[in-house]
Amino acid sequence: MRGMAGIFDWLDHRTGFRTLRHHLLDEKLPAGTGWWFTFGSLLLFGLTIQIITGTLLAMFYAPTPDHAWDSVRYITTEVRGGQLLRGLHHWGASLVVVTAVLHLIRVVFFGSYRAPRELNWVVGLVLLHVILAFGLTGYLLPWDQRAYWATVVTINISKLMPVVGETVANLLRGGPDIGAMTLTRWYAVHVLVLPPVLFGLIGLHLYLMRRHGISGPITPQTGESRSFFPYQAGRDLTVALVVGIALAALAWQGAPALEPPADPTSSDYIPRPEWYFLGLFELLKYFPGKLEIVGAIILPGVVMTLLALLPWLDRARTRGLRDRRWLLMTFAAGLVAITTLTVLGAMDKPVSSGDGWNVREQAGAVLLQTGSCATCHDPDGVAGPVDPVRVSRPRSWVASHLVDPEMIAPGLRPAPVADQNAQHDRDALLAALARGRSGSPLPEVNDDGRMAVVFNRHCLRCHVMGPIGGTEGPSLIGVGAKINEAGLIRQITAPLDVKPTGEMPAFGDKLSSDDIAALARWLLRK
Amino acid sequence: MCESPVPEPRRSFLTRLVVAGAALIGAGVAGLAGAVVTPRTRATAKRWRPAASMFDLPPNAPFVATLTERHADGWHQTRKESVVFIDKVGDGYRALSATCTHLGCRVAWDGAESRYKCPCHGGIFDRTGAVVSGPPPRGLDTIAVRLNPETADLEVEI
Repeated sequence: MRGMAGIFDWLDHRTGFRTLRHHLLDEKLPAGTGWWFTFGSLLLFGLTIQIITGTLLAMFYAPTPDHAWDSVRYITTEVRGGQLLRGLHHWGASLVVVTAVLHLIRVVFFGSYRAPRELNWVVGLVLLHVILAFGLTGYLLPWDQRAYWATVVTINISKLMPVVGETVANLLRGGPDIGAMTLTRWYAVHVLVLPPVLFGLIGLHLYLMRRHGISGPITPQTGESRSFFPYQAGRDLTVALVVGIALAALAWQGAPALEPPADPTSSDYIPRPEWYFLGLFELLKYFPGKLEIVGAIILPGVVMTLLALLPWLDRARTRGLRDRRWLLMTFAAGLVAITTLTVLGAMDKPVSSGDGWNVREQAGAVLLQTGSCATCHDPDGVAGPVDPVRVSRPRSWVASHLVDPEMIAPGLRPAPVADQNAQHDRDALLAALARGRSGSPLPEVNDDGRMAVVFNRHCLRCHVMGPIGGTEGPSLIGVGAKINEAGLIRQITAPLDVKPTGEMPAFGDKLSSDDIAALARWLLRK
Repeated sequence: MCESPVPEPRRSFLTRLVVAGAALIGAGVAGLAGAVVTPRTRATAKRWRPAASMFDLPPNAPFVATLTERHADGWHQTRKESVVFIDKVGDGYRALSATCTHLGCRVAWDGAESRYKCPCHGGIFDRTGAVVSGPPPRGLDTIAVRLNPETADLEVEI
C-alpha cells in the first residue's frame, strides 16, 4: 500500500491531479439541489452514447450515394450487434433532444438563466442548435427515401432566407443538385465539424456553470451544503442508469427499418421529418404563398430570439414563480403550442405508409418468382438467384435490363419494342424489387398474387387499389358492397352491355372466362 | 530578478504586429476553406428533349413523362431523372414541372379530383398548374413544349 501511495504522491507532485480531482468533484452544491438538477448530466450521458455509437457506425459506413444505403443495410443485417448499434444511435438522438429540452425547461422554471448566468443561458441555446444540427445532418446519411426527401425540404427552406438564401442552399447542397457532394459534405459536418464545436461549447458551458455555481432551489434553503461527489453524482448515475436501460430496451428492436434507397423521381413517396421537427413541418402548412417565409424562418427565428433575450426580458425582482408568473405562463403557452403542432404533425400520417405490399408490388413478387427471370437467375444459372436486398444497381439500370436482359450495359443498343403487358409487368417487377430491397420478405406465390398480376396488367392503369393506380375509373376497394359476382363478371366481360355510355374497355376477348371469374372473386374480397 | 523593461511604444507595436500576423493567417485559412466549400456550378444549357409521343396522351389525364439523362454527380456518373406532366390544350400542349413550388417535393396527379397534389405540405394545383390551395407561393412551373412533326414526339425544353 505504501508503494501505491508513493506512486500517487510522485504523480501528484508532477501533475497536480489531486487538486484537479478536488476541483472537479468536491464542489459544494447549494442545499436542496436535487433530482431536478440531473438533466444536464443526463444530457452528457446521452451525448457520450452518441459519440461511442457514432464512432462505431463510422467504421462501417460509406458516405457515397452508391454505397451509403447498402452500408447501412449491412450494418443492420450483417454486423454483429449492428441492429442494436444503429438502434442506440437512432433513439439516442431522440434522447439527447428530449433531455436538452427538459434541461431548458428546468432552467426556465428555476430562473437559473438570471444574472449572472445570462451568458451560460445563451451558450446553452447555441448548444441546443448544435444538437439539432447533428440530428439534421445525421438524418440524410442512410440515403433512403425518408432521408432524401427530408433533405430536399430542408434545403428548400434555407432558400427562403432573404438575400443569402440561394448561397446557403448552394453551400448545403455542394452543387446544383442533392447528390454525392451533399452526402460527403453533411457527413463531414456530422462527424468532423460539429463534434469539436460541441466539445468546445460544452467546455464553456461547464466552465461558466462552475464560475457562478449551481443556481440551486428557487428559494434558498438552509441546511448542509454537500459536495457534488458522491451525493449529486449518485443521483446523476441513478438517472443515467434508468434511462440507459430504457434506451437499450428501445434500441434492442433496432432503428426504424430502412426505406427504399433515395429516388428523386418517385412521386408516391410521402416525406415526413424526424419527430422533433414535426412541429416545424406542421407550421409550414399554415402560411400559404408569399407568407411561407413566416412559418419557415421568421416565426422560429422570433421564438429563438425571444428565448435568447429571456434573461434581459425578465425584470422580476426575484426568482420566485409568483414574481415571474407572466413570463412563465407565456413560456408554458409556447411549450403547449409546440407540443400541439408536433402532435398534429404526427397525426398527419401518410396514406401509403403501410408495411404491406401493394397490388403492383405483389404482382411483381409473383413475376419475380415464377416469370422468365428464373431462366437465368437460378442457383445453377448464369446469373444467380435474385435477392432484392442485394440489388445495388439503380432503378434505371434494372429497368433497362428488364426491357432487354442482354443489355447488361444500358445504351449499347436500342431496346426491343415491348407490348403493353410487358410494360406493366416491368413496372411491377421494379416496384417489387424496390419494396424487397428494404428487407421485407417476398410474399409467397398464391392465387391472390396471380390475380394481382392480372389486375396490374389490365386494371391498375384506370382503377385505384389502395395507394396506387389510375383514377380514370372508380376505386375498386369495397366494390362488393355495390355489385355481386355475376354483375362484376358481366361488367368486366362486356361493360358496354351494362352501361352503353361508359368508357371501360371490354375484357371478354382479352382474358379467359376462368380468369375473369377468378378476378371478380378476388375483387369482391378487397 | 525582473525582465529588462521594453519601451512601451515598441511593445504595443509588437502586439499589433502579432495580432495582424495571426489575423493574416486566419484570413488565409478562412479564404481557402471558403473557396473549397463553395460549390463550382456549371450552368447546364437547356435543350429540347423528346418526352412523349403525341399518341401517348390519355384523354382525360395529363401524361407523366420521366426524362432520364446521364449526369455527373461529383466523381460519379449517375442518371438524373426529371418528371414532367404533359397535357393537350386545344390545338397545343402544356408541360408542367412536377416539382412543387413550395419546398420542392414531387407532386402527383389525382384523377378523382382532377388536381395535382403535393404530399408534403398539402399544396393543391389545378390542371393548368395554378394554385388552388395550400402553401405554394406560385403555380407549377411551365416548361416549353413543342410537337416535332417528323417524329410525332412532344419535346420539352429542360
